[in-house]
Amino acid sequence: MARRYDSRTTIFSPEGRLYQIEYAMEAISHAGTVLGVLAKDGVVLAAEKKVTGKLLDLSGVKDGGYGGSGEKIFLLNSNVVAGVAGITADANSLVNYARQAAQRHLFLYNEDIPVELLAQRLCDLKQGYTQYGGLRPFGVSLLYAGYDPNYEFQLYHSDPSGNYSGWKATCIGANNGTAQSLLKQEFKEDMGVEEAIGLVLRVMSKTMDSTTLGSEKLEFSTLTLDPTTKQPKAKIYKPAEIDALLQKHDLGKKDEDTEMRA
Amino acid sequence: MSIMELNGGSVIAMVGKDCVAIASDLRLGNQSLGISSNFEKIFAMTDRVYVGLPGLATDVLTLREQFRYRLNMYTIKEEREIEPETFVHLVSSALYERRFGPYFIEPVVAGMQKQPNGSFKPFIAATDLIGCINFAKDFVVAGTASTKLFGVAEGLWEPDLEPEDLFETIAQTMLNSVDRDAFSGWGAVVHVITKDKVIKRTLKGRMD
Amino acid sequence: MDISFALTGKGYVLIAADTTAARSIVKMKSDEDKIKVLSPHLLMAFSGEPGDTVQFAEYVERNMRLYHIRHNHELRPPAAASWIRRSLADSIRSRKPYAVNLLLGGYEPRERTPHLYWIDYLGTLATVPFGAHGYGAYFALSLLDRYHDPEATLEEGLATLRRCIDEVSKRLVVSPGKYKVKIVDADGVREVEL
Repeated sequence: MARRYDSRTTIFSPEGRLYQIEYAMEAISHAGTVLGVLAKDGVVLAAEKKVTGKLLDLSGVKDGGYGGSGEKIFLLNSNVVAGVAGITADANSLVNYARQAAQRHLFLYNEDIPVELLAQRLCDLKQGYTQYGGLRPFGVSLLYAGYDPNYEFQLYHSDPSGNYSGWKATCIGANNGTAQSLLKQEFKEDMGVEEAIGLVLRVMSKTMDSTTLGSEKLEFSTLTLDPTTKQPKAKIYKPAEIDALLQKHDLGKKDEDTEMRA
Repeated sequence: MSIMELNGGSVIAMVGKDCVAIASDLRLGNQSLGISSNFEKIFAMTDRVYVGLPGLATDVLTLREQFRYRLNMYTIKEEREIEPETFVHLVSSALYERRFGPYFIEPVVAGMQKQPNGSFKPFIAATDLIGCINFAKDFVVAGTASTKLFGVAEGLWEPDLEPEDLFETIAQTMLNSVDRDAFSGWGAVVHVITKDKVIKRTLKGRMD
Repeated sequence: MDISFALTGKGYVLIAADTTAARSIVKMKSDEDKIKVLSPHLLMAFSGEPGDTVQFAEYVERNMRLYHIRHNHELRPPAAASWIRRSLADSIRSRKPYAVNLLLGGYEPRERTPHLYWIDYLGTLATVPFGAHGYGAYFALSLLDRYHDPEATLEEGLATLRRCIDEVSKRLVVSPGKYKVKIVDADGVREVEL
């Protein structure tokens, strides 16, 4: 019976459900985990990369990273970074849309787009694809980590239906249930960025399937205020920086030779 | 009344030895009435590329906003900053898009161009209001004092000036030229650009 | 024939505009308010082509309100100024442009700074310590060059404003009789008596 209502995004089933959207959400819950934590002086994002392997050409990622040349974390504007979970091709198109929207706001108002407004812009687009005929919804959930002078640091989540909400810490993608409950236990109200980085890495290492974390499976970024200019500064970590960070938090790959010697 | 001379203002750029300089006046007027003495017409596009936009003031602001939009998209997608020569072509096409209803601006671009071997070469160029590019080896001028700037620069400029000497040359060229132009002046600003830093100096000028 | 002045002081912006509504050589009205309150900390004096002025001022007013309702916070003065400038810059290249000149005064409670913008019908925007539109500009700007002080108290600011108005009354052939003066500061906007 459900089948008759499966293929149309814009048609309710007799039970009042929109199947295509539920399927989109289902697709996202198999995607790589993306995790965000809001601290009092910044926001931290981490994401699990699914496309890996030693034949993958990563030479472009090595020294790039300004806009996030990786798979999951992108700079949307100078004050917003986003982590995406779901169909990467859909995500790329949304990222482009978001960047245009942010620049349009800058053009009109000469100020960086407020974070919630950017989330709204994307959600308006996503909602449209659940209502207007003949189209498939975007199979993408996003976490937005951003800063604006009105509400300072913020973390938002949006899903394929076009819903969005603000969070102190949240997670999308595979194992998001486990991660959410870990976050609920360990989140503290007045955490600083350093502490939040530790929390994110700890939760990430517990929820990801692989035993050891490494830059080939992980993307990482922070959004803080530049101490001199007081302007938001997004940092998307390069592979070497991620490995160094993991070593610092004792979560990186152990160098077996040194262990043997010890 | 010419629309290019409604608000007044002038820009000049010069090449030096491993450096370039770009300078403008600070006046915004309405014909003969002065409105503001801190109306900047030179904008940083990247750390190494600067653009000066003399002409109709509303278009100064509009083009500045439009270039910022296009450049931010370029930077975020290309994951690198634009080179001056590429930027001039962006300017040119933005202006030619309005071929039959132009922006009343004659842009001047100055910057350090990255060479294939990793070194940097001085670059300056200017375009007319519909985007015809003029690549120059020595200096380029634009704005209501352009005729005077040509004359003074022709006399003062010499090849291979060091940054400090180039600063003095462009500053004197600017200050003395605008004294012969009723629509330019009210102070000036100079940027000297080298491969790793930019020095910005604001100059006092005659207030008459 | 409209005349408007504005100046900044320590923690405030003062805006004055004449109250005459004229048609040809006839005064139709002498209590016209030409200063709109756009938001709790934003004032806009408008002048220019009759008809365009009120239409454009109300268009701006309603858009500022809409932004406030949609986003739960008002536009900061620089953002409002940019949006208004954009509207005029788009308008000037349209089939029927608005012929409206503006003085936009705002106060930013967060940073405790006054903002003043001089905007004309072409979409020219200048951040200024003081500004004027209309024939009054030719008399007032030189006075303001001499007497304006960005650190002046409200009393001193009003005295400077009075000088401008008196000079226009003395020297301009078609000088208006009455002015309305509004202030924007940390307490919001209100009308002040000269």
